[in-house]
Amino acid sequence: MLLNQAFGAIAQFMERGGDVLYMILAVTFIMWVLIIERMWYFTLEFKKQKQRVVDAWEQRHERKSWYAHKIRTAMISEINNNLTSGVSMIKTLVAVCPLVGLLGTVTGMIEVFDVMASQGSSNARAMAAGVSKATIPTMAGMVAALSGVFLSTYIERRAARESERLEDSLTMDH
Amino acid sequence: MKKILTAAALIAGFSTVTQAQSADLNSLLNKVREGRVAESSEHKQREAEFAQRRAEQQQMLDAERRTQAQLEAESARLEEQRRANETEITAQVQIRRDRLGQLQELFGVLQQAAGDAKSVIQTSHVSVDHADRLTGIQTLVDKASDTAELPSLDEIRAWPTQMMLEAIESGKVVTFDKEVRGVDGNTSTIKLTRIGDFGLVGEGKFYTLKNDGAVEELQRQPAGRFMSTVDSFQSATSGLAAIGVDPSRGQILNLEVEKPTLMERVDQGGVVGYVTLSLGAVGVFLAVVQFLYLFAVKAKVSAQMKSSTPNTNNPLGRVLAVYANNKNVDVETLELKLDEAILKETPALERFLTIIKLISAVAPLFGLLGTVTGMIATFQAITLFGTGDPTMMASGISQALVTTVEGLVVAIPTLLLHAFVAGASKSVIHVLEEQSAGIIAVHAEKEHGHAA
Repeated sequence: MLLNQAFGAIAQFMERGGDVLYMILAVTFIMWVLIIERMWYFTLEFKKQKQRVVDAWEQRHERKSWYAHKIRTAMISEINNNLTSGVSMIKTLVAVCPLVGLLGTVTGMIEVFDVMASQGSSNARAMAAGVSKATIPTMAGMVAALSGVFLSTYIERRAARESERLEDSLTMDH
Repeated sequence: MKKILTAAALIAGFSTVTQAQSADLNSLLNKVREGRVAESSEHKQREAEFAQRRAEQQQMLDAERRTQAQLEAESARLEEQRRANETEITAQVQIRRDRLGQLQELFGVLQQAAGDAKSVIQTSHVSVDHADRLTGIQTLVDKASDTAELPSLDEIRAWPTQMMLEAIESGKVVTFDKEVRGVDGNTSTIKLTRIGDFGLVGEGKFYTLKNDGAVEELQRQPAGRFMSTVDSFQSATSGLAAIGVDPSRGQILNLEVEKPTLMERVDQGGVVGYVTLSLGAVGVFLAVVQFLYLFAVKAKVSAQMKSSTPNTNNPLGRVLAVYANNKNVDVETLELKLDEAILKETPALERFLTIIKLISAVAPLFGLLGTVTGMIATFQAITLFGTGDPTMMASGISQALVTTVEGLVVAIPTLLLHAFVAGASKSVIHVLEEQSAGIIAVHAEKEHGHAA
């Protein structure tokens, strides 16, 4: 029952905001899938990979030659690639959210002016649909961007920190 | 007359003719006398005739005067009669009114209700397949508005009958053959389906009921997802079938006609809009081309990473080939040669990235440009025509808004595509810059390690 009500409220909200809301929904969904995937990687996958790399490095018989140096760089680079994959996509999606919101604003305004052209400027009730289609996506775009902006910064910094820590743990002096 | 002329001739001849002819003159005199006698008798006869005629006329006049008097008397009588009749009529109307009593108001209500029903029936879709619904109601309306005649019970029954028919038929879906007017103005007979009182569909199209009772194809059909349901709906014989219904009985569908199509919208954007969209098309094309290229390169590079022999069909293979060709040089020279090889590979991998990024940044600026030019057009219209007529400003405003939309419509996908392509290109370049040397080192160690 409660679920039904919630779905009803969401459906009503989506209807008021127009089709652009679905675009924002899609963008936000992909953004969060990527964020959760990053979190998953940091907490579970990364530790295993890091351990494997550190073990491989430690098992080397020498760690000072040019070859060793290059192998170490390659190891770090591989892990670093894994760490930062998708981060730029998350940042782009965060940047795209307000743009999609703006798109909704403008299409909503076009609807308002369409109504104005056919019914004159006196019919405020007929224009209300367009106005809600102009305002709701803007707000939704902002909220979606805000929901991602903190986490995208956190993920970026965490990737950089983990990469540095990995570099520190692959020592060359023994 | 002849005699007078003869006499005159004789008299005229007298002056010239000689005296010897006097004997003839006497006979002439006699003749003239005789003629006079004859003339006088003729005149008398004429006089008598005239007098007789006069008497006759007098008689006729008298007769006519008598007739006039008669008719005047008749007229007066009829006038009297008319007056009497009028009084009688007034009295009878009064009696009728008295006898009608409260029914008078009832008929007033009936008249109003019948008028309402008439307008309902005129605009109802039910009338499309129920012809002649209006005649009964029209008779009732006419009679109810006419004070002289009361509608009969049968005529009154036309009203509830039609309202019942309306109510029953509003809940039915009926298919029938009907002559319709197409977009081109030609009429044809098609299988038309009426959905209650809500709409008309037929042959995959939506139809609208005009004020004159004619059925016309919509000038612009609604969205395809509604259109596609029509045929399956029409062919369905039982159960449930989906169909788009206009609950406002045609008003919303008629608004649909006024709504501009996508192409008309794009056209409103003007030159700036077309430039923005072409830029976007170029950006998307370049991004797709580069993405496909990078996708292929990436697949080859990962295949190369698994194999130990360098294959020159991919950037990593070409870089590794540098080592294979220079196995005996010292590490500094090797590194220089590797850097050079990597530097040679990067331009192809980073190709188009800047232009895609540029397009994604410039598109909203173009939108802004269109907005401002549109606003300039709007204000020019205001200067010329004032603010009274919003339609004068409409083209400027739509240009302003549509170009903004077009700017965003170009910016959003190019931004996303740039992120995709840049990511793909970066991962390959990372492999080249940071891992190629490592891979070479692993290979070298394997070769020398066993040897050493």
